[in-house]
Amino acid sequence: MSKAVGFEKLKEILLEQDREDRNELAQKLEELDQQLNDKEKLEERVNPILTDQEGALKKNFSGLFGPQITESIKKQIKESQDEVVEVLYPIIGRMIKKYITSEIEKLSEKVDAQMELAFSWEGWKLRIKAWVSGTPQKDMVLSNLIEPKIEEIYVIERNSGILIGSYSKKESLDGDMVAGMLTAIKAFVEDAFSADAQELESIDYENYKVIIKSFKSFFISVVCSGGMSTAFKDKLDDQLLSFAEKVLIKAKDGEEAEASQELISSGLEEHFNAFDDVTE
Amino acid sequence: MSLSKKVILIGHFGVGKSSLVQRFVHQKFSDQYITTIGVKIDKKVVQVDGFDVTMIIWDIAGEDSQKKVPVSYRLGAHGALYVFDLSRPSTYENLQSELDYLNQVIPGIPVQILANKMDLVNDTEREDILDSLSLEEVLETSAKTGLHVEEAFQRLAKKMV
Repeated sequence: MSKAVGFEKLKEILLEQDREDRNELAQKLEELDQQLNDKEKLEERVNPILTDQEGALKKNFSGLFGPQITESIKKQIKESQDEVVEVLYPIIGRMIKKYITSEIEKLSEKVDAQMELAFSWEGWKLRIKAWVSGTPQKDMVLSNLIEPKIEEIYVIERNSGILIGSYSKKESLDGDMVAGMLTAIKAFVEDAFSADAQELESIDYENYKVIIKSFKSFFISVVCSGGMSTAFKDKLDDQLLSFAEKVLIKAKDGEEAEASQELISSGLEEHFNAFDDVTE
Repeated sequence: MSLSKKVILIGHFGVGKSSLVQRFVHQKFSDQYITTIGVKIDKKVVQVDGFDVTMIIWDIAGEDSQKKVPVSYRLGAHGALYVFDLSRPSTYENLQSELDYLNQVIPGIPVQILANKMDLVNDTEREDILDSLSLEEVLETSAKTGLHVEEAFQRLAKKMV
């Protein structure tokens, strides 16, 4: 055996294990390469891990990120308090108003139900009063709880929308312009939706109601707040008719327009100043 | 002595009616009303011959024909301002027939015609247009510069008293 052949033989004997290890490693690398580059195989391996992680994240999300999120929201609110109040105030204000009104209505229904069962003197008294006036019992309780009030009255010339008299308990918008806008809204609604001379009778706005009573040459708009009971509406109707009969017709006969307007406004005050106190 | 008068402000879309009112009065209601119900109300008190005339101005949404304006908005009007745009022929091409129609639906009320946006045309163009219209008492106005705006309302108030 030559020296070279012997050396080769020795190398083969000594490095056989290394060669096998290298081949095995190459095979494993190839498998790994296939797994990484083959989308399906990679998904097969990674998906279960991701699903586990996702589940764990969902389970522990509030614990992991809750404090940071809360802190961040608190910081944002603190830094922009005015903006938050500006956005939330009208919404919350309206919600509270609506909630209270609705709760009082529910309460009045409950009171009504209770009173029907009760045989107390008060119950009988209210029942007799309701029977005599023809007003539903719940309306009487409701009107006692959230009293309806007249806020403003406008007497307006029917076609032109010119204000011919007004009455208000508080400082309000310019009466001439309100009268014009009310006439325009009334005309718009009647043109758009009515047939055969039907007329707009009321406008609801949150806790306010504008009651419109039309006469031949003028109409009266009454802005009311609170819970409207049938008794209140009847009383208001009667007062408006009596006002129209006594004051308006008399004023219309007057020669001077200004004198008429003054007469109508003072007539309104006289007629309706104590109206809320005698609604019952 | 005071009087209240309803004035309707009419004319095509974009002729500058609302801008004229804006020049004339301090507006209280938003222009949104015009797009919502087709009209917006404004008010201005002017003095005419010892009278305080409260002009309730109905700024009516622009239409290419007066026939499209809701009848109820014109009812009871004591006077009208008809506005056209000197820089847009389509706004005054049918002016005479529009005025005839107006006279038919609200007869007897004074109508002041306003040739607005006079700042957008030169003297020759303006004269040519007004000659071709051959109308009496057209007042040239510019809501942009304020020229003759006050006078336009004053003139109508005088005719209404």
